[in-house]
Amino acid sequence: MTSAEMSPAATPSVRMTTVGTPAAPRAIRPVAATAEASTRARLGRAFQHGGWFVAPFLLLYALFVLTPLARGLWLSFTDANITGEDASFVGFDNYTEALKDPLVWESLGHSAYFTLLVVPCIVVLALLLALLAHHIEHAKWLWRLCFFAPFLLPSAVVGNMWRWMFNPDTGLMDHVFGMESAWLTQKSTAMTAVVVATLWWTVGFSFLLYLAALQNIPRHLYEAAALDGAGPWGRLVHITLPLLRSITGLVVALQILASLQVFDQVVVMYEFGPGPEESTRTMVQYTLEQGFTSYRVGYASAISILFFVIIAAFALARMWLLRKREEGVR
Amino acid sequence: MGRPDLTRRNLLAAAGGLAVAGSFGLAAAGGGASALASGAGTRVRYWNLFSGGDGINMIRMLDAFRKANPGIDVKDSTLRWGNPYYTKLAMTASGSRAPELGVMHLGRLAGFAPQRLLDPFDIELLAKYGVKEADFNPALWKRAVVDGKLYALPLDIHPQLNFYRKDVCKQAGLLGDDGRLVPIGSVDEWFAALKSARKAVRKGLQAVGIHAFDQNFSWWFFLSFYAQAGGSYYNADLTEVTFDEDKAVEVLEFLRRHVTDGYSIAGVPDVEHFMNGGAFVWEGCWSVPVYSGPKIDYGAAPLPAVFGKPATQAESHAFVLPHQSGRGGASNAAAHQLAAYVVQHAVDWAAGGHIPAYLPTLDDPAYQKLEPQSEYASAMDNMALEPEAWFAGSSGTLSQRIGPVIVSSNLGSAKPDQAARRMRRVLEQLLDMKNPMGGDAS
Repeated sequence: MTSAEMSPAATPSVRMTTVGTPAAPRAIRPVAATAEASTRARLGRAFQHGGWFVAPFLLLYALFVLTPLARGLWLSFTDANITGEDASFVGFDNYTEALKDPLVWESLGHSAYFTLLVVPCIVVLALLLALLAHHIEHAKWLWRLCFFAPFLLPSAVVGNMWRWMFNPDTGLMDHVFGMESAWLTQKSTAMTAVVVATLWWTVGFSFLLYLAALQNIPRHLYEAAALDGAGPWGRLVHITLPLLRSITGLVVALQILASLQVFDQVVVMYEFGPGPEESTRTMVQYTLEQGFTSYRVGYASAISILFFVIIAAFALARMWLLRKREEGVR
Repeated sequence: MGRPDLTRRNLLAAAGGLAVAGSFGLAAAGGGASALASGAGTRVRYWNLFSGGDGINMIRMLDAFRKANPGIDVKDSTLRWGNPYYTKLAMTASGSRAPELGVMHLGRLAGFAPQRLLDPFDIELLAKYGVKEADFNPALWKRAVVDGKLYALPLDIHPQLNFYRKDVCKQAGLLGDDGRLVPIGSVDEWFAALKSARKAVRKGLQAVGIHAFDQNFSWWFFLSFYAQAGGSYYNADLTEVTFDEDKAVEVLEFLRRHVTDGYSIAGVPDVEHFMNGGAFVWEGCWSVPVYSGPKIDYGAAPLPAVFGKPATQAESHAFVLPHQSGRGGASNAAAHQLAAYVVQHAVDWAAGGHIPAYLPTLDDPAYQKLEPQSEYASAMDNMALEPEAWFAGSSGTLSQRIGPVIVSSNLGSAKPDQAARRMRRVLEQLLDMKNPMGGDAS
């Protein structure tokens, strides 16, 4: 059908289609000029241009994102328990309790601390690995594979693997590298251990983004710079890094959003406990504990809505900054 | 060509619809088929949380029951112990898809029974199958009763024990003429025993393992010694925190001293150290099969009564009837029958280390022959229990919150008095928390 529209001088058989559907939007628009009809026409056009292709996604999105979100919002104003029976409206009680709950702030702090540690490390490490993989001449595929492969592992595998590696008696860290430290049992190193595991696990994704960006930098820029006498360091600092700025922005934004939601590797590494001296209980984990250990689903919903607002604020701030920067460039 | 196009879409839509409908139909048929598959008349679905050695023992008892009662079809499902189990049990009981019979830790009862997630047992029906109140420890039975109704039928208790190696302790002169550990009645006696035990222990091994890092064990050991000191947590109607910080500090200092005096090395695997020649390890009774396997010469006593009256933490596995809107009839009777049968035939169960709750079993010669089980049977009379609040019980919110505080004291990052204050704060916070199932904190 698209070919018929795109080329008016089509073959007779195709033209028949156009004749067969006289109610084409374009034809009726001058006749019925009411607002309703034009909306319908616009909607109809939207659907003609791929609406039906998006429909399955929209349906699933509504079913599995919008509906639970709306339900979670409603539950956060009730004292619902896990059974879903006898929930009554309690207004903002859950929210006021959450704001006064020290564990909400503590767990939020842990998630933020984790984010603060992970994001800069990922940016630097991913960039270094990408530069390395970009400049290596031989067996390029092997390096790319090595750096990216951990990203393909499920979080439960990663969590367990690192739990074993950090084991003070038999683990790789102590046994082979001779680091005599109880990584997973000391408050001071507990979160670092998670950060190390997470870096190994997820750096591949940002690495790939950087690698793609590196390959997009035109060679002639480097050649021109070389002719002007720029050494490797000068080319890195004055060409590569400035041209990677926008991808760095993307990496930082994605990592902040992902890291604030940190959950699975932590609970696997600490076996669903709060970590040594409760130093690794994250926001998501606390939500889970309230909802599924204490059965306070209403309260857990309120916490997760609060958390959602915080994360959404980050995402919006990033969009706003980006738009401002683009306007500045113009 | 418009029409053929439409037809093709219709065809696709119809095919898709058929596929979806088909899968629902199949699912429905599957449910029906499993219900009808067995020729037996009455079906009892039974959820439990027993894996490993316990799981094998339980299945053996179920098989014996099946053989004796061919008219009853027992469908048992084993789920993983911990929070997810209780979440599932609560949801199935509220969603009217509950199994006829389930297993729970007695400590979790307060969070379940008064909220209509469980149905009470029919005492007469139990009596018909041979189980009555007089067959149980009164304290245990009382714990299973809520508002005058029996909501749980105790199967066992599982206390924390002081495992000791007879070879090492003999060398240290700690064994009596009967070859068992000489009872220890004070903190000084205990540390004196540790001092002599350390000389008999090979270099590099710890004298005693106290799971100083583990928040669950640390909570259980605290419960034990705090009960020995006579401490409490809340008043009887759960309106006030009665936590005694001075007593708590004493207990916390006692626990901490194991680490500071070097009798216990924090972070090492306690079980392995014991197996390799450590003198003592504090463990749940479920470790009996672990140590009996490799033929270690060992004994197991309740935790030493260093603060006066003997007390050792114990939880209890109990049968429960998850709430069914139409509970009754043959399947309900069969659930009673199965529970009563397993409770009465728990000698096999005792092989897993647990102390059978059904008292006649303790007089069974087969039980009395079991070593070291018979040595710690007295733990039944000296149970240190969690407060009966909705947030207490195995893997409940209380242990999740208070355990880490005790660990921080064990490891020295919080002074015992700081830790005691924090424990009080946790107890207060939890009491303030609204019971999600309605009602008051009890």
